[in-house]
Amino acid sequence: MEQKKIRVLLFKPGIDGHWRGIVTIAGALTEAGMEVIFAGFKSVEVIVDSAIDEDVDVIGYSVHSGAQHAWTCKLKQVLEEKGVRDSFLIIVGGAIPLVDHETLKKEGADGVFSPGTNTADVVSFIRENLPKSPIIAD
Amino acid sequence: MYDSKKLAEEREKWLAHSAGWQERKEEFKSDAGIPLKSLYTPLDVQDIDYLGEIGFPGMPPYARGVYPSMYRGRLWTIRMFSGFGTPEETNERWKMLYQEGETGFSAAVDSLTFAGVDPDDPVDWLEVEVGKEGVPLYSIRGVEVMVDGLPIDKMSVALVVEPLTSTAVTSMYFNVARKRGISMDNLRGTTQNDILTMTIGYVPWRSLKPDDLLKLACDLIEFCTARGEAPKWNPINFTTYNYREGGIDAVQEIALGMANAVAHIEEMLSRGWKVDDFVFRFAFHLAAHRNFFEEVAKYRAARKLWYRLMKERYKPEDPLSYQFRFHVQTAGSSLTAQQPMVNIIRTAYQALEASLGGCQSLHTNSFDEAVCLPGEESVRLAVRTQQLLQEETGIADVIDPLGGSYYVEALTEELEHRIWEYFEKIESEGGIVEALKSGWLYREMGKAFERRRRAVESGEEAVIGVNRYVVEEEPHPPFRTNPRAAEIEVERLTKLRAERDNQKVEKLKDELRRVCEKRENVMPVLMELTREGASTGEVTNIYREMWGLWDVPIMA
Repeated sequence: MEQKKIRVLLFKPGIDGHWRGIVTIAGALTEAGMEVIFAGFKSVEVIVDSAIDEDVDVIGYSVHSGAQHAWTCKLKQVLEEKGVRDSFLIIVGGAIPLVDHETLKKEGADGVFSPGTNTADVVSFIRENLPKSPIIAD
Repeated sequence: MYDSKKLAEEREKWLAHSAGWQERKEEFKSDAGIPLKSLYTPLDVQDIDYLGEIGFPGMPPYARGVYPSMYRGRLWTIRMFSGFGTPEETNERWKMLYQEGETGFSAAVDSLTFAGVDPDDPVDWLEVEVGKEGVPLYSIRGVEVMVDGLPIDKMSVALVVEPLTSTAVTSMYFNVARKRGISMDNLRGTTQNDILTMTIGYVPWRSLKPDDLLKLACDLIEFCTARGEAPKWNPINFTTYNYREGGIDAVQEIALGMANAVAHIEEMLSRGWKVDDFVFRFAFHLAAHRNFFEEVAKYRAARKLWYRLMKERYKPEDPLSYQFRFHVQTAGSSLTAQQPMVNIIRTAYQALEASLGGCQSLHTNSFDEAVCLPGEESVRLAVRTQQLLQEETGIADVIDPLGGSYYVEALTEELEHRIWEYFEKIESEGGIVEALKSGWLYREMGKAFERRRRAVESGEEAVIGVNRYVVEEEPHPPFRTNPRAAEIEVERLTKLRAERDNQKVEKLKDELRRVCEKRENVMPVLMELTREGASTGEVTNIYREMWGLWDVPIMA
């Protein structure tokens, strides 16, 4: 039986334009056999709607602006408002201080990746932690 | 002196002798992929004509430096790229840096200033990025506070803003200088104003099309230099550093800088100016990366190639137009979040490259910059790194001390060939603007991201603390910016909008619309408009309204 590919939606919240990280991750996840949708700069509301429409398993974003806490809280808030928090695995990467990992997890990120991460670790994190209650497509 | 025939025979003997000795790797290559011999001898440089291809500092082809006395006359400028929180906090940091011995200022702006958006813009939630990556410069009032009490009449200031907002922010700065009674004839500094920084170095949010960005960049060159409104101001600084950080190599870095400069020269010529009217003020901003000798050779090759480009293609009369002047920044992308103290050592070696390469000014990164903006302790160490080089090591006492090294001369020559070849490749893609529009440059960057990822993850490219010598460690506490910055900046802007003559501002905004429609130079009206209190976002939104947005072909 053919297994469904893991679907990942990647975006940049806000207007910070550091793009090497997110594009690098997009390449690595594609190479690992996942289906990657790279949405570019998008508002959190738009991303949550696309995540639902596109029936993705994972939402990932990259922050280099130092606003990682704000964007993570905002994403969680919108996911909860729409009642879909448990439908997605949330991962964040970027120029994130190592001391921020625990806080970001409390704020709503499932996986946090700082500079120096091996992309293989992101791949295995996704495979091992897929959401338990995915959205069932009609 | 040597007898080359005899030397060749002896080298053969030595090669035969050394063949029995095992080497660590099958092949040795520079970062840009240049195959490296185990040893360089006079035979590797025997075809290089000293007078024609190396020469003397301050004289063509400038391989050894652009000034006759180089650092024996004046040391390079210690210019730290700095800004965060609010203009007040940035001003405080600049004062600290000045006291610590910095000799030039450089403003790092936040993402809103970079993108030309005001913090009270209706776009949701942008305020969370206020003051996070740099100083918010949303109006003349912010700029004024940033440089308050600093000797900007004597020390130069670099404004690191790109063509989306370089015209607006530079006009604000010029107005502040005028208000302080500084003559525009003597005002020294630089606007980065680099179209490639804000297209491939950093992907812009709601950007204009490449032709419009080029137009704005050239408006500033025309206003400051060709029309002579700010004759000592460098209106552009081709910042190859920012694309090198994406993972391209030294060859691509310099070639992109040259091709970028050519696009601006052609645009200025099409406006009816002559090369001698503006090229003498062109400046560059290069990276100092990991491969020590290749980087030193790169600076030497860049000077020679710029000379060649000018001589073969544009033939300016002013000798200054042939001189490749450059600022250097040590490589942020080489820093690690892990074992951050190791970054001090990385940065010190990279700073040494820049100084051996004859830079005119230098920014040294702070050890915490892989994850946050620099704190006071780390930035002080970064300044000390340069002072140590200048004052303790003696490396600034002799000009181009690596000149004449068989290895460095051979590498310089090889880099020249390869850079020129890649430069021609960019030209065959239609030049910088076409290569941006077609997505070719984005694909080149994408390939570099991928190549570097593979090299680091396979361990082929060593990164200490990441793919070797990993330790368990306590994370370094990061520097945090002011959480109240957005509130403060929205208040500053609200107050300004209430106090300014809004009728006058609206009239000037209409005048800017007319200028944009006619594609005239925007600077004269901006000088009035920003003096009257128009914000960075208001100006940029007029560009967007008049010229439309660009759909960036990132993944094309």
